[in-house]
Amino acid sequence: MSQNEQAREFPVETDFQRKAGRPGGVTRRQAVGRARAQIDTLKSEFTDWLNEELNRLQAAIQMVETYPKNKTLLDDAFRSSCQLRDVGTTMGYELVTFVAGSLCEVLDATRDGAGYDKELIDCHLDSLQLARQDSYRNVKPEQVPELCNGLRQAAERSISLAGSAQK
Amino acid sequence: MKNSTLNLRDLVILVADPSPYMCMLANSMLRGFGANKAMDARSSIDAIQILTEQKIDILLCDSLLPPHGGLKLTQAIRRNVNNPNRTVPILIMTSDTRESTIKNARDAGANMVVAKPMSPSSLYDRLSWIAFNPRNFVDAPSYFGPDRRFKIEGFPTGVGRRQGDKAIDVSEETGPTLAQDDIDNLFNSSRVG
Repeated sequence: MSQNEQAREFPVETDFQRKAGRPGGVTRRQAVGRARAQIDTLKSEFTDWLNEELNRLQAAIQMVETYPKNKTLLDDAFRSSCQLRDVGTTMGYELVTFVAGSLCEVLDATRDGAGYDKELIDCHLDSLQLARQDSYRNVKPEQVPELCNGLRQAAERSISLAGSAQK
Repeated sequence: MKNSTLNLRDLVILVADPSPYMCMLANSMLRGFGANKAMDARSSIDAIQILTEQKIDILLCDSLLPPHGGLKLTQAIRRNVNNPNRTVPILIMTSDTRESTIKNARDAGANMVVAKPMSPSSLYDRLSWIAFNPRNFVDAPSYFGPDRRFKIEGFPTGVGRRQGDKAIDVSEETGPTLAQDDIDNLFNSSRVG
């Protein structure tokens, strides 16, 4: 019997699908508006979280510099950077997401053998310190092209080196 | 099927993400959508524990969930014949929107992928899509999960064709990342056959 004939297709109706259409739900407009209001209540805590997460990232990067061959430490720094990237835009700090996203790519390239580029990573950390300031809230990456293009080009160079190292 | 409202009340939602703040953010959005039973897991081990202990109505899972990753967790849920949550809808949250990652999520058995950073509207739309566009499940030797046959993709590796399917080419890997619309297209269940 071929693999194709062994495939069985069957309908599944989960509770989620059955119950999500019940009366009493919210429209998209209501839901999005209420969710935004809920997020607004978190904004005061966000600054504290952002500062803590940046401190954690800097400490993780310092550990990577102290023990450059320890992959777990590099993973910690990568994860910390990812957390900043994943939350920034949602909370109105698009620049934080941009810089942290670029740093994620640089750290990922480092894991892939690009070599540890201290200057480039420090540059990202400095940019994050800038991006976290209140005055940069709601600033889009395209509004600060010198910063963003510079980081982008340097990050791409690092990624390209990792690509060469893998070949 | 078109629905103008989404009712998440009393549905048990598990948000699995290593970041406590991300979990809090996702829970806030879900509360805004009317959900009142959301819980968190920080690792795939915690998530598996919760999934074996109780019925979950939908899982929102980070693709990098430590230690195994969200896609491995998805595969583990789908492959375990004894898991009462085997067919639970799974929404993968990821910042890695390379086409290969999205395809891997789909091939692991995810129902849909939402790009991080998430907005309330992007999350609401994906939840609605899962709720109101049910897909058949496929049980094959190399795959268990929602039907992966798509108009723009051809046939995923390992599934093979079934009667009534038309032959089209699987697209080549292009571009470094996908926008949310492109991700949605990969999960769009427009059937060819």
